[in-house]
Amino acid sequence: MTTTEHAAETAGGPPPAVAASGITKRFPGGVVANDDVHLELRAGEVHALLGENGAGKSTLSNVLTGLYRPDAGDLWIHGRLTELHSPRDAIDAGIGMVHQHFRLVAPFTVAENVVLGERSPFRRREAEERVRALGERYRLPVDPTARIWQLSVGQQQRVEILKALDRDARILILDEPTAVLTPQESEALFEVMRAMADEGRAVLFISHKLDEVLAVSDRVTVLRDARNVGTVTTADVDTRELARMMVGREVALGRARTGRAPAPANGARPPALVLDGVGADDDRGCPALHDVTLTVAAGEVLGVCGVAGNGQRELAEVVGGIRRATAGTVTVAGERLRKADPRVAHAAGVAHVPEDRLHTGTAPSLSVEDNLALLAHRRPPLSAGPFLRRSRIRARALELMARFGVKAPGPTTPVRLLSGGNVQKVLLARELSSDPALVVAASPTRGLDVGAIESVRATILAAADAGAGVLLISEDLDEVLDLSDRVAVMYEGRIVGVVDRDEADVTELGLLMGGATLAEVGP
Amino acid sequence: MNSNLFVVIAASAIFYGTPLYFAALGEVLTERSGVLNLGVEGMMLMGAVTAASTSIHAPGPTWFALLLAVLAGMVAAGALALLHAFLVVTLRVNQVVSGLAITILAGGAGLSSYLASVWGVATGPVPHQLSSLDVLGLGDLPVLGPIVFDQNALTYLSWAALIGTSWYLFRTRRGLELRAVGESPATADAMGIDVTRSRYLHTVVGGMLAGVGGAYFTLAIVPTWTDGVTAGRGWIAIALVIFGFWRPDLTLLGAYLFGAFSSLAPTLQTRGVDVPVQLLDSLPYLTTVVVLVAVSSGWASRRVGAPAALGTAYEREDR
Amino acid sequence: MIRLERRVETPRWLDVAVPLASFVAALVVGGLVLQLTGHSALGTYERIVERALTSDGALSGTLVAATPLLFTGLAAAVAFRMNVFNIGGEGQLVLGAIAASGAGLALEGRPGWLIIGAMVVAGAAAGAAWAAIPGALRAFTGTNEIITSLMLNYVAANLATYLIFGSRSFWRSLEGSGATFPTGKRLPPEASWPSLELGGVVVPFGFLLGVAGAVVLLVVLRATRFGFAMRVVADAPAAARYAGIRGRRVVLGVMALSGAAAGIGGASNIGDTRHVLDPRGLNQAGYGYAGIVVAALARLNPVAVVFVSIVMGGLANAGRALQGPDFPAGLVGTLQGLLLVFTLGGEVFARYRIRRARTVHEAHAGAPPPPTAEVTA
Repeated sequence: MTTTEHAAETAGGPPPAVAASGITKRFPGGVVANDDVHLELRAGEVHALLGENGAGKSTLSNVLTGLYRPDAGDLWIHGRLTELHSPRDAIDAGIGMVHQHFRLVAPFTVAENVVLGERSPFRRREAEERVRALGERYRLPVDPTARIWQLSVGQQQRVEILKALDRDARILILDEPTAVLTPQESEALFEVMRAMADEGRAVLFISHKLDEVLAVSDRVTVLRDARNVGTVTTADVDTRELARMMVGREVALGRARTGRAPAPANGARPPALVLDGVGADDDRGCPALHDVTLTVAAGEVLGVCGVAGNGQRELAEVVGGIRRATAGTVTVAGERLRKADPRVAHAAGVAHVPEDRLHTGTAPSLSVEDNLALLAHRRPPLSAGPFLRRSRIRARALELMARFGVKAPGPTTPVRLLSGGNVQKVLLARELSSDPALVVAASPTRGLDVGAIESVRATILAAADAGAGVLLISEDLDEVLDLSDRVAVMYEGRIVGVVDRDEADVTELGLLMGGATLAEVGP
Repeated sequence: MNSNLFVVIAASAIFYGTPLYFAALGEVLTERSGVLNLGVEGMMLMGAVTAASTSIHAPGPTWFALLLAVLAGMVAAGALALLHAFLVVTLRVNQVVSGLAITILAGGAGLSSYLASVWGVATGPVPHQLSSLDVLGLGDLPVLGPIVFDQNALTYLSWAALIGTSWYLFRTRRGLELRAVGESPATADAMGIDVTRSRYLHTVVGGMLAGVGGAYFTLAIVPTWTDGVTAGRGWIAIALVIFGFWRPDLTLLGAYLFGAFSSLAPTLQTRGVDVPVQLLDSLPYLTTVVVLVAVSSGWASRRVGAPAALGTAYEREDR
Repeated sequence: MIRLERRVETPRWLDVAVPLASFVAALVVGGLVLQLTGHSALGTYERIVERALTSDGALSGTLVAATPLLFTGLAAAVAFRMNVFNIGGEGQLVLGAIAASGAGLALEGRPGWLIIGAMVVAGAAAGAAWAAIPGALRAFTGTNEIITSLMLNYVAANLATYLIFGSRSFWRSLEGSGATFPTGKRLPPEASWPSLELGGVVVPFGFLLGVAGAVVLLVVLRATRFGFAMRVVADAPAAARYAGIRGRRVVLGVMALSGAAAGIGGASNIGDTRHVLDPRGLNQAGYGYAGIVVAALARLNPVAVVFVSIVMGGLANAGRALQGPDFPAGLVGTLQGLLLVFTLGGEVFARYRIRRARTVHEAHAGAPPPPTAEVTA
């Protein structure tokens, strides 16, 4: 359809559910997250908001739900000019949101979470009944008396959706909902979204994943660099077109691993990592890893995929020497790790790039040079006796920043002021500069824009090419499939399957991630 | 007079434990909203000095003067709590330092002492004091009588407060919202709850309750004012909150336990047990340490009960 | 509508302007309190300045009063920097005083430099040990150090009282009137700490020690491995763990360092000023809590602590000299508290910017929004 036909169609019909125009939002430090953005959402449609990480999608959705106040711009809800001062206003206007990081109170029950914020008196039994009925009606069954921390991630998301439905939200916003789901669960979610739209609600689906957007939406609005670069009908576009709109240039999609030489013959170097029957407990003392047996050859990338909360963090911590293994052995480059001590692991050649860049990987208020010196500060040449040698630390920082392309005002800049991509580069620079035998990377490209993603992936692959083994742990199946030579699936602390990348089938992997056994999945 | 040791200790445990309970109950409410208030000691002292002064200068029958005194204590302590709330909720000052600042400001060497001399409070025992109310004449019952039915008005009020607060916390909508604010202010905010108002409200109410606890000191326990009369009871009250897992009922038990320790010294001495006074005086403090360690370490990683957002400021637009 | 917007970086001039403005604001409010309670604000302030600085021997008296505050201020500063809230400076100072007076009494007859050295070491060790208790509890059991260190203050006070008033201990003088009237044993003259005379002002040895200590602390924080580890643990404990820094040892070490500083303060109290263990005086003085005020006002910078301790020392000195019916005891504490509160509140200007949020633009009364631009590839 052409522009004019569209305009004619909307001009005659009922006003759109949401019409935002000129939305601008700035943050301290000069960051403009939304720049004169407009968006039109119609009742009865599933509308995708597409953009890479950092393009402004979450900011816009926060404006729509009353959490952020825009610096400029107007909002019409069902044709009426509306000002949202707070989340209460958004709820009253019929806007409901399913957040990417769930807004749930962990110790409360499902029913308590759903009725939280309602104006009527709190009657427990009545609330539980209501939630039960709601869940049955929309085919999102969940036990209203269960406490949130007892539920799986997928079930928690259902509670989030029920919260919006309980308020009879006419406008439903879902922010990156599939990040925590298996492929099968995502399919089920899409069906729910369609059902909501068919009921006459307006559904806004926020994502950075092209195939999902194509699969479920009617129209797509693309954000790039805080601006709206256009709205298209989904049926009229394909992946390449959308990717080009999203990034602004031609993007090399698909596997980064193709064309790479296979791992060198086994005899040449000892395996980077051998886990044999490893078990470990989580923070609460419950078993988190069961009988994990894995091998990562030198120069190989082994990707471990799985839904969050199935033991990935504990696995990374055991290999990194931060968590004690209650059973089994961990051997790095032929050397057994006898103690759970990060120093021992580092000495054996383990480099650890944790998932939480800012508070676990780096000390955010400290400077770039201090963070780069974090591992080596204890020994010469960076220190002499009890004293630090500042000049050496500075020189080393400058050298590493150049080598790994860290863009920052200077080595004394606090790390928290850097962009996500540059923080990751600092982390990688620190860890990879010691020429490790094994690199443990947890969700290394999460939350980064496309440019940074490409750069980080290149760095990691270069380390593998140089002979290190890479244990890539990620909840993002695409990331794992793009980078790995072999893929392992983790479920409830166990390795439930290991396949060569070339033989991997997304559906099978999805089923394994969701708990099906290999036998069920089939040959 | 029943000289049975158990009865004496039990009755005095309740007597000495009541001010601890008021302050601790207030702190439970405050901490449930996510605000840590370390100014309790200062607020108790302000309540104490204000109540003492009112008792001296107020007219009329005793019950009226006492009522005014308690109210005055509540207002004074509440004002301090309002300051703390302003500092930590609106100005996002570090909660630990703010509470300490208020304790130093109002403490034994500060405002409460200054006001005591300005108002001429330290001249002698206050004229109107709380006395035991023999409820329904049941004060003569064996065992239960002196313990339960022969306490003063504020103690009975504290029991009512226990019931009221428990009901509020666990059975009402507002109580649910309060607990949500303390566990996850982001969630509460997204659900349309006014986090700021909840924190202000519960901090001020908590302070007012601390004021009642302080008033108890000068109206019942030590009817003559001395600087720093509460001698660290405010800090014990804060520890009691942890000991009671942020629940009004368990906190009451803890308060009475510590009340028993407070009364141990004079009781043992009258029985001729020869233990150094200073050791007995140290017992409440040492016990607090031991209890805290026991509560923190065994379940340290699980932190059962502590509101998850305790001590942190909430900023809606925090990225 | 006024909004607070977090600053990205704090401009340098604010680092000085804010404490200064807070100081002035506190004086103004303090003055108001004085006027409202029937005292002359200006008159009181005048007398304070006179007794603290200008009258004969005032400055020397101020330095004497500043010395314990310098030590407890350093103690609080080094700990608070690491988000380890050591409120036990009070008790650690008392333990230091006990140990130092014990050492001084025990080494009677030995050369002066030996005794004084022993007193300093004993004070530091005792303070460090007393602080290590809450430190170890925090490091190994996760128990909150605020309450544990505070409780130990009361235990320490009781211990000191016991030594003089509750027993016939080594610290107690049993001769003369001491046989019936509890009093401490006076230290021998060779245990008195020397002082330096600089242009009419008498600087106690303890003060010089404190200044040296501040410099040492600064060096430790900025230029040693331990200081580096401290900064990492304070900022991101998880990152410290991942990097192999042993957080527990750092916490324990910081508490011990903090306690040692307070303990030397106690030793100074014996060697510079009192020359006898005086539990009543120590308990009333509240050096530990005042030290927290000093540290907060100095924004946890060791060198600034030196200057702030002089200011607070002046206040305390004046307060003591002026004590009487028309100068109530609580005034000094109130002014200290006001200073602290205003400094805390003033911090907000250093961390945030005030912005006026634009109230919504002119109403577009009912006009439909413009149609969304379709993409033109």
